[in-house]
Amino acid sequence: MDFSTMMGILLSGLGFTVQIFLITLAGSLPLGVLVALGRMSKCKPVALLVRFYISIMRGTPLMLQLMFFMFGPYYIFGLSLGNDWKYWACSIGFILNYAAYFGEIYRSGIQSIPRGQYEAAEVLGYTKFQTFTKIVLPQVVKRILPAMSNEVITLVKDTSLAFVLGIMELFSQAKALAASQVSMVPYILAGVIYWVFNFIVEIVLTRIEKRMNYYHD
Amino acid sequence: MKLENARKSFGDTSVLKDISLTVNRGDVLAIIGPSGGGKSTLLRCCTLLETLDGGSLSYGDLDVCVNDTQGNAVYGPPSVVRQAKQRFGLVFQSFNLFPHYTVLKNVADAPISVAKVPKAQAEERARALLAKMGLAGKESMVPCELSGGQQQRVAIARALAMNPDVLFFDEPTSALDPELTQDVLRVIRELAAESMTMVIVTHEMSFARDVADHLVFMDGGTIVEEGPAAQVIESPQHERTRAFLRNYGN
Repeated sequence: MDFSTMMGILLSGLGFTVQIFLITLAGSLPLGVLVALGRMSKCKPVALLVRFYISIMRGTPLMLQLMFFMFGPYYIFGLSLGNDWKYWACSIGFILNYAAYFGEIYRSGIQSIPRGQYEAAEVLGYTKFQTFTKIVLPQVVKRILPAMSNEVITLVKDTSLAFVLGIMELFSQAKALAASQVSMVPYILAGVIYWVFNFIVEIVLTRIEKRMNYYHD
Repeated sequence: MKLENARKSFGDTSVLKDISLTVNRGDVLAIIGPSGGGKSTLLRCCTLLETLDGGSLSYGDLDVCVNDTQGNAVYGPPSVVRQAKQRFGLVFQSFNLFPHYTVLKNVADAPISVAKVPKAQAEERARALLAKMGLAGKESMVPCELSGGQQQRVAIARALAMNPDVLFFDEPTSALDPELTQDVLRVIRELAAESMTMVIVTHEMSFARDVADHLVFMDGGTIVEEGPAAQVIESPQHERTRAFLRNYGN
């Protein structure tokens, strides 16, 4: 098999990898806000429930969670959801898992905003919603960016776990190629592709960090 | 503004014990006293950052809270509280500017977002206020690019932008070095000259004497002594007031 054929197959896998990455971010970045707010909720049952959810999501392997969402509907409810379910299971698993991590990062950021900011907003008459969206959240984004960068880069690599669901993303393709070609090259190429992906992610994140550097506290 | 029989405790510690104050339109009231004497708590209760345990508070015809039969403070409905918030402004010791907003947006945003003033109009007024504070040309800077004294003047402009009937100052110069302090005090003097109603917690005695009509000395959660500012500072009647003022070389 020539190099370009091999690269073509790997890049088709990259398509799924990018999809998983983008869907996870699109779902977990906003869901994380709800997780953070729920975790800080004054309503005890809500706070407790969210804490339990975070604990499970962080305390068990993501691979196991993916299997749970993949096969849970059948084994628990006897539902046969068809061949496309694996994509749903993958999205649900990744989003719920990453929302737990993002939620905790958001919470650390929200709690680091000085009380004085809330008080200044309150005296000026901002509503609670305005205070959160206009005053607190923009400052939180700047503060949590380094921690978020870590998670986003981890996510790029974690997409390879979709392998266990039989989704033909980059890692699955590399593994299949390595087996059929009896070659180490597909793994090396996949490694390079993951690294380039993350290199681009790093550039984008650094740029966002720079753009937020117009002020400091 | 009228405050009557105000009481406030944190746990077992009684911070305000039966405080009554009236501030009329155009008055400048200075509150002095040792740290922990309840000055800041008093201001925080007046600006609704804290709730009173007992007593009544009103702004003009708006009763924010009243005493019930057991002497507990009962606050009015949210609409009344919201309305009352339009009637005062607060300048903090630590400025509390919004660091991610430009100077102009710090001043203009509350009028736009809260009071629903048209953007162009709010910004025009913000520019005028900033110019009055001696900050013309700094509109597009962010707070971290300004000195402490400049930041505090932005904070004063921000409070004034909401057209408050009364402006509260919580030790506005305590975080500033003496040179910058003068800039801020000059601005407050100018406001006093324009008959702005103000309540100022301060440790600047000569400033309090010059700018305030009325002065209150607070200690241990009570008003120990009050009267015309010059009189209280120059010939205090109570031993506690005298002991306090001696530390300031009066």
